[in-house]
Amino acid sequence: GKRDNDLILPINSSLSVTLHQDQLKTTTTAAASRDFTEDRLWLNGEEADAGQPRLQTCLREVRRLARKRRGGSAEDAAPLSLSYKIHVATENNFPTAAGLASSAAGYACLVSALARLYGAEGELSEVARRGSGSACRSMLGGFVQWQRGERPDGRDSIAQQVAPETHWPELRVLVLVVSGEKKPVGSTVGMQSSVDTSPLLKHRAEVVVPERVALMARHIRERDFEGFGQLTMRDSNQFHATCLDTFPPIFYLTDVSRRIIALAHRFNAHHGRTKVAYTFDAGPNAVVFTLADTVAEFVEVVRRSFPPATNGDQ
Amino acid sequence: MAAERELAMVTCTAPVNIAVIKYWGKRDNDLILPINSSLSVTLHQDQLKTTTTAAASRDFTEDRLWLNGEEADAGQPRLQTCLREVRRLARKRRGGSAEDTAPLSLSYKIHVATENNFPTAAGLASSAAGYACLVSALARLYGAEGELSEVARRGSGSACRSMLGGFVQWQRGERPDGRDSIAQQVAPETHWPELRVLVLVVSGEKKPVGSTVGMQSSVDTSPLLKHRAEVVVPERVALMVRHIRERDFEGFGQLTMRDSNQFHATCLDTFPPIFYLTDVSRRIITLAHRFNAHHGRTKVAYTFDAGPNAVVFTLADTVAEFVEVVRRSFPPATNGDQFVRGLPVGSASLPEELVVAVVTEPVPGAVRYILHTKPGPGPQLVDDPSQHLLGADGLPRRCA
Repeated sequence: GKRDNDLILPINSSLSVTLHQDQLKTTTTAAASRDFTEDRLWLNGEEADAGQPRLQTCLREVRRLARKRRGGSAEDAAPLSLSYKIHVATENNFPTAAGLASSAAGYACLVSALARLYGAEGELSEVARRGSGSACRSMLGGFVQWQRGERPDGRDSIAQQVAPETHWPELRVLVLVVSGEKKPVGSTVGMQSSVDTSPLLKHRAEVVVPERVALMARHIRERDFEGFGQLTMRDSNQFHATCLDTFPPIFYLTDVSRRIIALAHRFNAHHGRTKVAYTFDAGPNAVVFTLADTVAEFVEVVRRSFPPATNGDQ
Repeated sequence: MAAERELAMVTCTAPVNIAVIKYWGKRDNDLILPINSSLSVTLHQDQLKTTTTAAASRDFTEDRLWLNGEEADAGQPRLQTCLREVRRLARKRRGGSAEDTAPLSLSYKIHVATENNFPTAAGLASSAAGYACLVSALARLYGAEGELSEVARRGSGSACRSMLGGFVQWQRGERPDGRDSIAQQVAPETHWPELRVLVLVVSGEKKPVGSTVGMQSSVDTSPLLKHRAEVVVPERVALMVRHIRERDFEGFGQLTMRDSNQFHATCLDTFPPIFYLTDVSRRIITLAHRFNAHHGRTKVAYTFDAGPNAVVFTLADTVAEFVEVVRRSFPPATNGDQFVRGLPVGSASLPEELVVAVVTEPVPGAVRYILHTKPGPGPQLVDDPSQHLLGADGLPRRCA
């Protein structure tokens, strides 16, 4: 949910784990040249609309930061003119059909490339946020908090690192990519509908999340998997609860999602403590957090519970 | 002094009720006091009812209970609580005399037999109808007067709403002793003649988490439930009363759907989460929204309880069309069983544009049958002695 649609300011703070780029990453090349006649954009090799508002907003904001650094001189004395058109190509190292393609990685990459291109400095997470809210969290590694902020201009709605990626060496992430589901309601439309119609979402944002963010930061700092895992599961469920409380209701959890949830609870109950923790976003894939010493066992449990088709794919 | 009767027997029937503002969560487990008020529609006993015969006799040696012909535990606490409370009311009426001078001794053991006119496997068997029936029969048996909905509530919370016909509110109450946590009629069953109810009985699903355990878990673990009970429901109950009194189906329908969804949202916010909505439930929900969107207004409204069956409210002029939409969306297996039961449903041919817009991917067999009913009255006394479920010997008349 947003409290400002133009600036992409959220109704509550959020906290995330940045995943390793060896397994999931977006690569973006940004080029500027006097010879380019128009802005152009290629996504995974296919040309797309470079004029789309959010992309242009990020471009404008990076240029503004670059201009500021250069002293605000009317004439560009720097090597690269801010008025040149740009060409941008971006690719993911994971298939689009997997439903993992995230605008977060995409906009974080775009902003990073443009900033480097123009020599811009400043709060880049704020710029990424203007492209896609959660993109600001992809501007940092490890454990990241996107502060809701209080200012109407959004200058304080930025990402901060809670702990670096080296903080919790035993933490592992299993992304369960589920089989082709119907395309669910998009996030932007969905969250607007929730803000407009769900009384529970309002309460979540105003009362529940502030407490939880503080608690989650503590669990992470203390490497407390029991606390981290439980709170992660609860918050995933509460997010989906507010989707159900939306009108018309939004269903992101599928039958498979529910089976994975029930499986995780049975697994934890069997071991007598929280060893795996699920979380689901606005889509069918499950993300399961666990510690390194549990990975093999849980992967085998998933394999037995959802036997893969013998088609040769790994 | 009048001679004591050897055997007294009373038979009552009681209705099922469907909550449109849901009850989920207790603030007192012993007295069964809810964390929020709830509001329901009492369904007509021609289609759904529980029949209970209660008999008391000097010759009975122990309390006995038969449910649909099978003997069950008569010592279960909630049954005994209702029995004790009805006797207390009877004693009060009789003036609290130490000795019973009335014809029927309150100390006799009782035999109770109860049956539903709908199959148990349908998942409609509701403790609400059961306890309302039990309390009604016992009260008539003992000549007890007073707030019977309070007694029924002690058996099963929502049973208090089955003590009245039409549109019923179960007031949360404020008193710790629960004396003000009772049912009140918002409007009689005759208030809204066009209102209809379609119960979509879905095919055999796994048994979900029971209500008593489920709602306790929700109270213990869901922050959203707390907010719902304290802030959201009070406003909604007042609003729902208004929609009903004004016969405003648009308002009634929307609020009914929202409250069903919010109840299930709090179940999802429970830890571990509780899932009562199934894949079929979700398909019915989206079907309803597509149907309403196609017509440009709220013509059907779903609500789901702690189980897989869907209850759809609509007006009489929409029944035939929506039943046909359900038939096309969930084509019944051709096993000869009647797909549409209860009140008659006319035939409807669907315009092609409606079919294209609304009936997307049919799921054969997902809905076992549809029961068409409407709002109905509260518990009734059965005068005809041939309808007693117990014989003169106090034993069940019909075979299991």
